[in-house]
Amino acid sequence: MSSTPRLTVTGLKKSFGSNSVLHGIDLAFEPGQFIGLMGPNGAGKSTLIKILAGLYSADEGTIKLDDETVRNLGSRRECGFIHQDLGLIEDMSICENLRLGQQPMKLVGPILNLKREREAAAEAIARVGLDRDVDTPVSALSPGEKTLVAVARTLDRGARILFVDEATSTLPAADSRRLTDALRRTVDDGATVIMVSHKLSEILDDTDRVVVILDGEISTDEPTASLDREGLVERLVAKESEMAVEGEADACEIGEELIALEAACGGRAGPVDLVLRGGEITGLTGLPGSGLHDIGFLVHGSMRPVSGRVRASRKIRRALVPPHRETQGGIPVSSIRENLTLSSLPRWRGFGRLLALGQEGRDAQGMADELNVVPGDAEGPYGVLSGGNKQKVIFGRVLLKEPQVYVLCEPTRGVDIATRMEIYRLIRKLRSKDVAVLVISSDSEDLFSVCDRIGVVDDGTVEELVPAEEMNTQQLEALV
Amino acid sequence: MSSVTAGKVAASGPSALKRFATSPTMQGSLTTIAFLLLFVGYWIWLGDTFVNVDARLLDVHQNAPILILGLAVMVTLIAGQFDLSVGGMCTLTTFLSIGLVVQKDWAFWMVLVACVLAGLIGGLINGLLVVKLGVNTFIATLGTGGVFLGISSVLFGGTQLAPTDTSPQLPSWFSGDGSLGSFGEKFPSVIVWIGLAACAYGLFRWIQARKPEGRTDTSWTVISAAIVVVLAAILFALNLPAWVDGVSLTIGVLLIIGLVLWVVLRYTTYGRYLYATGANPEAARLAGVKTDRETILAFVIGGLLAALAGVILAANQGAASPDIGTGFLLPAFAAAFLGTVIMSTGRFHVWGTLIGGTFLVWVTQGLIVGGVPFTWTDVINGVVLVAAVAVSTIFRRRA
Repeated sequence: MSSTPRLTVTGLKKSFGSNSVLHGIDLAFEPGQFIGLMGPNGAGKSTLIKILAGLYSADEGTIKLDDETVRNLGSRRECGFIHQDLGLIEDMSICENLRLGQQPMKLVGPILNLKREREAAAEAIARVGLDRDVDTPVSALSPGEKTLVAVARTLDRGARILFVDEATSTLPAADSRRLTDALRRTVDDGATVIMVSHKLSEILDDTDRVVVILDGEISTDEPTASLDREGLVERLVAKESEMAVEGEADACEIGEELIALEAACGGRAGPVDLVLRGGEITGLTGLPGSGLHDIGFLVHGSMRPVSGRVRASRKIRRALVPPHRETQGGIPVSSIRENLTLSSLPRWRGFGRLLALGQEGRDAQGMADELNVVPGDAEGPYGVLSGGNKQKVIFGRVLLKEPQVYVLCEPTRGVDIATRMEIYRLIRKLRSKDVAVLVISSDSEDLFSVCDRIGVVDDGTVEELVPAEEMNTQQLEALV
Repeated sequence: MSSVTAGKVAASGPSALKRFATSPTMQGSLTTIAFLLLFVGYWIWLGDTFVNVDARLLDVHQNAPILILGLAVMVTLIAGQFDLSVGGMCTLTTFLSIGLVVQKDWAFWMVLVACVLAGLIGGLINGLLVVKLGVNTFIATLGTGGVFLGISSVLFGGTQLAPTDTSPQLPSWFSGDGSLGSFGEKFPSVIVWIGLAACAYGLFRWIQARKPEGRTDTSWTVISAAIVVVLAAILFALNLPAWVDGVSLTIGVLLIIGLVLWVVLRYTTYGRYLYATGANPEAARLAGVKTDRETILAFVIGGLLAALAGVILAANQGAASPDIGTGFLLPAFAAAFLGTVIMSTGRFHVWGTLIGGTFLVWVTQGLIVGGVPFTWTDVINGVVLVAAVAVSTIFRRRA
């Protein structure tokens, strides 16, 4: 085993336009440490990882491996990154995936020594505790096993400093367990592991040291042993509680039932019983993979229930902010106007059912102005907007439809603090007697900021809904 | 046309010129300018043998079926699909148009209904195969294209087919001298003039809406009008009235088909939904677009247009032969893809397809007039298609 270098980061700063994301990060990682990196969405964790991986360049600061200053770690053999997207090729076998990008083992000339490659692959996956035939296609593996293959591949390429970015967030508990065990073993072996996670128990049980990033600064850097659950939650949510207070202003009369799920099943969700009434903002949270978003699709009507029933009047207008903005949200080649009006286009039908483009343009411009989309010309292209502005356009599309049922999935995913507050304000303004809002988010801050009642989704079903004021972040985190 | 605009804008300072040079408008015009420069080159090289109104309009007339096929594949391309069956469908309706009269003695209106039905049904089959059964769009349409071609052989014996002295004749308005299919029969030029006037007004409004900073409304309106007038003067200097008078009935039909399709794509909810479906089907579906229906409908429209192309081909030729549609697919796709880089940065659209297809024909014809054997046609088409797609891909990657 080659020795693990010491990784030092000094004074790392990064801004996007006028938005400062990292205000100066100083960190040092010793060999043989298991570090948990935590912090709310948008705090700068992923920006830090992306800078280290070389996807962004830092505005200021240095990165050092032992005494050698490096630009980034992305191209360094001794560093490995495991993202949520594991980068495995589903149709190829474990062995083929492991060998990709590595020096081929040759028999004679260009002929591969398949036997030796298989043996090497078997050895590599055994090291992470995976016991599988190396000819198994990756598509046949469970999500946890796939992650293990990704870890094995990274280690096999010689990585000694491993960044694991929210790889456990989509895994069921048992699979997460196997992954953290495998990571623990590599740490005991002298490697460094930096794991980004939102799961408190994982961080508390498995890591040696906890680093919390809040608003672009290191707010906590302590040995795990000195922290208990409550201590850690306090360090994570110090700011969230301040923000949540704003949300409790305007109560509203409860209207009639608009939509009801009755033992509805679809995708990974179900059976779900859920009633949405006018005047209420309902929040659901849960781990990714719990069927959380599928409940949203069922309520929106874009997924038909395979069993059970979604009871809704045919006339009910429903609109959705989809969870994955880039793939499910916008039409990249179209203009901002076309993206804004897509869901309510028949409104601008005029003479001969032809579209009145002038009126459509004025209405779209009005919405873009109201939401402060930057740059503000509604005829401009959508594809070049920043994530937060894209999210505003998707919101604008939903608002223009003026639905009675709003399904808002991950409304603040990947948006900055200012936009986040704007979005919370927008959601609160929706509250009226005739409108039901369902917020589905894996970010508990969303729920406390806008929701009246909160439910936790576990394995596709919703536990009972609890009034938001009767719950605090700690309790919610404990349930998730 | 854009070089004129550039001159006007230059007056307002170098930064405005730079902004204009890098604007989407300019980038979208680059290919058009390149083609126009090429034609100026041809003009210098070949003189009046190339710049010959009748000869160039005859090119368009003869290639009208291919241009309509270009529109057919364009509609499915907008939906994010490929339709390789249009060549087969075109051949089938050519045979139906000739064969049902000559061999089966059908009334001609029934023949036309049969052709339209064939197009609609064929398109529907494509759409259902791709959308409902999930068959790969290449394979499905490659297969049905073979079937359409095969049906024409099965029905009519697989050989060349034309009216003889003893057989029933095609209607005189449809094919032969002084008919729809003949180049000598002209489209009412007053309609073309009205269309051109509408284009000029549209261009005026388009420039007017792009007022640069620091110009007053009135002065920019005057400048916009001046640009349009200068353009019109240039066109008149290029013998515009002769071009207008030379528009044949077939070209007129082609323009009407283009106009209808343009209105559908730009001014109806269907058109907008179709673009959204092609660009990001998942997002479109979640935004409430019935993407399955839109895609099937795109294949149906494509089938219908291919069927019309076959009918027009029959009118032009007055005969049908089994290999008549072979080789149509390449220029049709070339026209559609060229259209994405003509007055556009990466979108498929009607006028781009028609202009692109026409430019493609003229590039080839220019070379043939200049002495290159006509056997090079496919090579030239292929090279221009690949070049156009490469350019449009680069534009899209930037966008």
